[in-house]
Amino acid sequence: MLEPTFNVGMGDIHVAKGPAKYQCIGLGSCIGLALYDPTTDISGMIHVVLSELPSHRDNEPLGKYADTGIPELLRQMTGLGARTSRLLAAYGGGAHLFSLGSQTSTTLRVGDRNIAAVQKLLESSRILTVAKDVAGGAGRTMIFHATTGVVTIRTLNEATRDLCNLKEAIRGRVAA
Amino acid sequence: MVSLWGFMGTNRGEQLSLLAMSALHEMANIGLGHALKSLSELTDKPFNMAIPQVDLLPAEHVHQLTPDPEAMCVGVLMPFCGDVEGHLAFLFPWASAQTLWRMLLGSSPETPADVDEIATSAMLEIGNIINSSFLAALSDFTQLHLESTPPMLGMEMVGALASSIMTEAEMSDSVVLALETSIFDAANETQGYFMCIPSRSGLTVFFKGLGIEEAA
Repeated sequence: MLEPTFNVGMGDIHVAKGPAKYQCIGLGSCIGLALYDPTTDISGMIHVVLSELPSHRDNEPLGKYADTGIPELLRQMTGLGARTSRLLAAYGGGAHLFSLGSQTSTTLRVGDRNIAAVQKLLESSRILTVAKDVAGGAGRTMIFHATTGVVTIRTLNEATRDLCNLKEAIRGRVAA
Repeated sequence: MVSLWGFMGTNRGEQLSLLAMSALHEMANIGLGHALKSLSELTDKPFNMAIPQVDLLPAEHVHQLTPDPEAMCVGVLMPFCGDVEGHLAFLFPWASAQTLWRMLLGSSPETPADVDEIATSAMLEIGNIINSSFLAALSDFTQLHLESTPPMLGMEMVGALASSIMTEAEMSDSVVLALETSIFDAANETQGYFMCIPSRSGLTVFFKGLGIEEAA
């Protein structure tokens, strides 16, 4: 079976059943979130830009915001037959890249807010987080190979490394 | 080129008029012209600048400015406030940043890890000069009160830098005016991307300042 590759750009949501590969290239303060249901082999990924949809905005891509995007990702995945209670998660990003001498800009703490929002939404949906690679000062490229379950991260200073394997992750073995 | 001056912000169907677009181009030319003059005065070297392309982009397309989103880039980001709020940013691909350092310091760091305090402050100073002069010109041009804040430096994958800049700007509801620039002296030429990201309501204020009624 052909393996579709999804380029998950800012605010994008992609889901698939069976073989698939997802990539979030150059995550800064944004977050790439990969979800996988091992029982049905349904996978999905979202590239969250900000934590909350501002009240005065409409016609916005749902995937841009954690509070609208993650429920939409869950809706699309359960629409294909996945069950939320079985989902396993891995996410990365939420860095802050700009600094003012030694002190980091307070206005650019978007990354921290994004991390908190994603974590809270996963917890409230009772989705198990297998692994995460967040915060810090490095931009990341995150690749989720749903076919094998492997999630990898690479940065400018580090070679590609495995973050986790969502296919082999066992419930109850939670990353910190 | 006109076709590249695509869509605005969240309302994809809406396009800026040619008049508004050329006003922006003119404003950018004047702003960056002032900036280069200051840079020449500081370094006592003649610099020139060309702006081959001006784009008005929705936030999510900014990372497409450069072909490789994982390429190393140096970014200087400077928020501004006053009658209009927003951000100014300069992105230099690594090789261009090295050229710029050579122009200013006579030598350049080999790798990002070699960027020391002098190189850091030189780059921040360039960013500061370019951004402040641009802002001053903008202020003269539109009669608006605009204030700069200290610049910040980032060295990272261009995609990550651009998306972080846009993420920050998005919070104040924005579109981005992106200018492809090349800075050159007698011997070297360097490419960069200059971005002016006013808040969305700010763009309307800018146009009013320019005497153009634009339904932005």
